[in-house]
Amino acid sequence: MPPADPSARTRPGGTLAGILRTTAFRVTLLHLALTLFGTAALSAVAWWATTGFAARQVAEEVARDMGVLQQAAQLGGLASAAVSVEARLAADRGGAEYYALTAPDGGRAAGNLAEAPRLPGWRNLRLEGGPAGPETTLLALGAALPGGGFLVVARDLAPVRELEARLLGAAGWVGGGALLLGLLGGAVMGRGVARRAAAMEAALAAVEAGEITRRLAAREGGDEFDRLAARINATLDRLAALMQAVRQVTDDIAHDLRTPLARLRQRLEAALRTAPRSEAEWEAAVEGALADCDRILGIFAALLRIAQVESGARRAGFTRLDLTAVAEAVAEVYAPAAEARGQVLETRLAPGLMAWGDRELVTQMLANLVENAVTHGREAGHIRLTLEARPSGGALLAVADDGPGIPEAERKRVLRRFHRLDAARSQPGSGLGLALVAAVAELHGMRLTFGDNRPGLRAVLEVPAPPQGTPAGASHPSPG
Amino acid sequence: MKILIVEDDAETADYVARGLTEAGHLVDRAADGREGLFLAGSGDYDVLVVDRMLPRLDGLGLVRALRAAGVRSPALFLTARTGVGDRVEGLEAGADDYLGKPFAFAELLARVNALARRPPLQSEVTVLRVGDLEMDLLRRSVTRAGRRIELQPREFRLLEYLMRREGQVVTRTMLLEGVWDFHFDPRTSVVETHISRLRGKLDRGFGTELIHTVRGAGYTIRAPDNAPG
Repeated sequence: MPPADPSARTRPGGTLAGILRTTAFRVTLLHLALTLFGTAALSAVAWWATTGFAARQVAEEVARDMGVLQQAAQLGGLASAAVSVEARLAADRGGAEYYALTAPDGGRAAGNLAEAPRLPGWRNLRLEGGPAGPETTLLALGAALPGGGFLVVARDLAPVRELEARLLGAAGWVGGGALLLGLLGGAVMGRGVARRAAAMEAALAAVEAGEITRRLAAREGGDEFDRLAARINATLDRLAALMQAVRQVTDDIAHDLRTPLARLRQRLEAALRTAPRSEAEWEAAVEGALADCDRILGIFAALLRIAQVESGARRAGFTRLDLTAVAEAVAEVYAPAAEARGQVLETRLAPGLMAWGDRELVTQMLANLVENAVTHGREAGHIRLTLEARPSGGALLAVADDGPGIPEAERKRVLRRFHRLDAARSQPGSGLGLALVAAVAELHGMRLTFGDNRPGLRAVLEVPAPPQGTPAGASHPSPG
Repeated sequence: MKILIVEDDAETADYVARGLTEAGHLVDRAADGREGLFLAGSGDYDVLVVDRMLPRLDGLGLVRALRAAGVRSPALFLTARTGVGDRVEGLEAGADDYLGKPFAFAELLARVNALARRPPLQSEVTVLRVGDLEMDLLRRSVTRAGRRIELQPREFRLLEYLMRREGQVVTRTMLLEGVWDFHFDPRTSVVETHISRLRGKLDRGFGTELIHTVRGAGYTIRAPDNAPG
């Protein structure tokens, strides 16, 4: 792990830079940019729909006027057109209409435009010092009249310009407002998110620093932050449980391996001090020491195997296995050992029951259970190994003896490493057999329960049915 | 016999080499996988003892390469890797036996001997004989001095395993693996009880014992008249 960057430990909620770095603020900025783009597009459409419409309307009026005046000139000559122009000017209260009627000789015949270029077609004219203001823009249409002469009709574009200005102003206000509100909202949201993230970060930093029991605040049925916090809390709980287990194992190992190691040391020291006289005595001392070593190595091997099984990595090697055959083999192996203690090992095994798992581990698990029954069961007692199909699928595997059994309060604890019942302490054993049974059962999804056999212990394994359509596991060749 | 030890830990290699030499074998050593591959490929060894974790070429790769090259010398993995799947992995790579460290030297010696003397065509044998004990593999019957002895199927397998290795030491773990397919060490003396039951059936009413206990190592079956030393 790289050393923690000290800047990463500062709380992001406090500073402006911290707020700017939050995801919420960045998301807000993006949203804002999109909103502004949308507003601009909308404004463009509005612009085209309003000012464009107004400008087109003005142009239509101009064109209509031109048409009417040209008709007047055609019917009544230049004078009639001049009268029409003057009449229109007189009727125009708004002062938005402009005309310039020029005689064929170039003299001014009528109108209020002082100078107008005698050019046909549309153009914009600039009028200095007009009635509407110091400078006015006009939309002008020039055309020659049928009887000679030239007419320019123009309209003041000020209302259109004003509309444009208002629209621009409005767009500016709306855009600015959206920008301001977005920034403000982003800052507020970012601050809220940053504050909650900072609280979570602080709590996690405390856990990291060793305060293992510290948890995040999570409201019941809250938002995604609360759900996330609840999930993190569950993970921390699991980690704490694992740490507790590791610590327990370490303590157990330290304690339970020290005992045989101490015994080995005593034996070696005694051999050295008393200086055995004969070769046979030396040999006995060395053999005793070797036996102690083997016992210690056996404990290590058992612990390693339990750890390996608990890691779950073995699940990849699962195959379909014949549970009946495994039970038969185990019973067969232990029958003479039971007989040697005067016990009867009775089996009642349903034929052809299959399971899904690791044959080697399942064999060892069952062997440990039977071995326990043989070792801890009553001398000259009765041991019963049964395997039956469950109506719901799967199988029920049970090992029952008529020995002293396990008191109800101890039934959970015997599954822990090195845990031994007081009554069993005088007998050989490491206290790891049932821990391995529990680990293998867990790996295979089997439920292990201890019951009262009245008298004695009844260990029951509920074995799940193997998945459908799985091929039978290939049996591996054994050496020799 | 000519034995090659491929082991990078000098102390273990010394220990194994010394022990095998004392047992009368000719021992060569290689300290890494490539050297091991070169020696095993060129020399004609009766048994290869191979560590799994080796520099330059690991033990699995070494055995696979040898088998691919057609070298059939029996190989035994001697390794600290004793996890649940490791043994199967080693055998699938082409090794013939697998022994976890730490190990008892007697165990290693027994297994090396068993590998070297393995008869190449076991299936053609139909009758096994040790002294006056006779096992008919086809009729699944056992007689001693002409008298029929009734055995359970597993007792039959146990006796067959011993008789096929007449005169060799067979360890407890070899029996557990070979007869019962148990790849772990039971705490109770299951092997001992089976052997004593078998002994009871074989030797009852006869003057001489055929199955002998080799102290600190295991068992062996041999006829009374060719007892060594």
